[in-house]
Amino acid sequence: MDVPNAITLAGVSKYFDAAKPVLDNIDFVVAQGQFICVVGVSGCGKSTLLNLIAGLESPSVGDVDVPSGRASVMFQDPSLMPWLTARGNVELALRLRGVGRKQRAEEAQRLLALVNLADAGDKLPHQLSGGMKQRVALARALAQDRDVLLMDEPFAALDAVTRDLLHDELERVWRETGRTIVFVTHNVREAARLGDRVILMTARGGKIAREWDIDVERPRLIESPAVSTIAGSVSTALRAELAKVTNV
Amino acid sequence: MSKTPNTADTRDLEHRLDSLQSSPAAAPSRTANWWAGVWPPTVAVLLLLLIWQTYCWIAQPRPDLYPSVIDVAAAIGANWDSGRLPAALLTSLTRGALGFVYAIILGTIIGFLLVEVPLLRRAFGPIISGLQVLPSVAWVPAAILWFGLTDATVYFVILMGAVPSIANGLVDGIRQVPSHIRRVGVVLGAGPIALHRFVLFPAALPGYLAGLRQGWAFAWRSLMAAEIIATGGLLGFGLGSLLQQNRELADLPGVLATVLTILALGILIEVGVFTPIQRRILLRRGLTEAR
Repeated sequence: MDVPNAITLAGVSKYFDAAKPVLDNIDFVVAQGQFICVVGVSGCGKSTLLNLIAGLESPSVGDVDVPSGRASVMFQDPSLMPWLTARGNVELALRLRGVGRKQRAEEAQRLLALVNLADAGDKLPHQLSGGMKQRVALARALAQDRDVLLMDEPFAALDAVTRDLLHDELERVWRETGRTIVFVTHNVREAARLGDRVILMTARGGKIAREWDIDVERPRLIESPAVSTIAGSVSTALRAELAKVTNV
Repeated sequence: MSKTPNTADTRDLEHRLDSLQSSPAAAPSRTANWWAGVWPPTVAVLLLLLIWQTYCWIAQPRPDLYPSVIDVAAAIGANWDSGRLPAALLTSLTRGALGFVYAIILGTIIGFLLVEVPLLRRAFGPIISGLQVLPSVAWVPAAILWFGLTDATVYFVILMGAVPSIANGLVDGIRQVPSHIRRVGVVLGAGPIALHRFVLFPAALPGYLAGLRQGWAFAWRSLMAAEIIATGGLLGFGLGSLLQQNRELADLPGVLATVLTILALGILIEVGVFTPIQRRILLRRGLTEAR
């Protein structure tokens, strides 16, 4: 396999207080086009990891290398501009990228169709459901045309039905666009459903506890036995991590 | 095979879920919207006038001290025919509009400076809030001494009345922009200018508009007060001057006619300009229910 690396973290540490590092000497490589899920309990440093890759924060020690330049980011809150329509929100990202007016309209329509919102372009954010808002946010992130897409618990606030459909949607969009995705979540089933690789962070101390390579055939189903087996294994390890903290 | 999700099925299911969970994009009709804002106050005004006239019919008070609606309406007609009312209206509206435009420009610039330079905000913020509380009529004597009986006096007083509200409205509007909206602007790669133009200013629009609305109210009030206090010299003849002149003539129907004209103008601008703009902005953002 001779795929170039999309993200390389070499000896990366982040601390505000040297005695309690948020991240401690992380080495971590993501191949181009890979779908990586980062799992851990609250406060384990997974959001900090994402911010470092996004360039929103810089590491205390070590190097973060994203050869394709800055990454696009999606958060738990869709954060759509409430005064712009769904199309307007996607066009804003294109405009800030310097895309011309005519091309903007075409590109926005293509991206909305990609997230299955072709006929909802004229709706305002308050007229959309949570799942639709998050898909507009996905289209907006894709509009930035960056190879790396970082997602910080993007589906955590959605109901289970919507979330299952969005998993299918995201998997399809990922395959069609060939993006490299780093997906942070505290939901182990979600991680096992989506990821090529799952990375478990230690509960405290900011290290990588364990990794799983998942070679279950896609498209996957969240209720399939193969996904459940891996989710079970991740879950057990996550609880073991949690147990270490509560014993201290 | 049956366990593999079919992409077409997924998209169809998603589409069905969307139509269950979202509302139609259709905006309420604009004329219906306008009419809904206009008829209740119109009825209220007519009702008050009716009560007033009925009282005059029944109690028969002295017409020079308690004129009836009909007397006041006649006074409006007489003032209009003599040419004093149209001249006064034109003068006051021109001054009000021009002064308000100056105030918007100045207030917006000051507001942006206060937003961008935290030290300035900490230093001058309280002073500007204080100026908002100070009735700008208090500046009339000083303005007359500085500028004499010229239009500059009137504009100075309008500015002192309106600028603090407009500046404060912009500052509050921008400071209340949720941090996640600002963060998205940065993540999308907006530089400082683009961030203001495409994200912060549009996001701050409701607060800015509230400031403009209050600024107009203060400007109009200040203008009337200045016109009542300062008359003669190079000053033109405005509604305030008409009011003062009618008082000197002991013409109470004329005084009330002028007061009602001033009130009517204020309501007209409020209902005809600010309310529809504000409703449109809030409706678009889903911050208020359609009636």
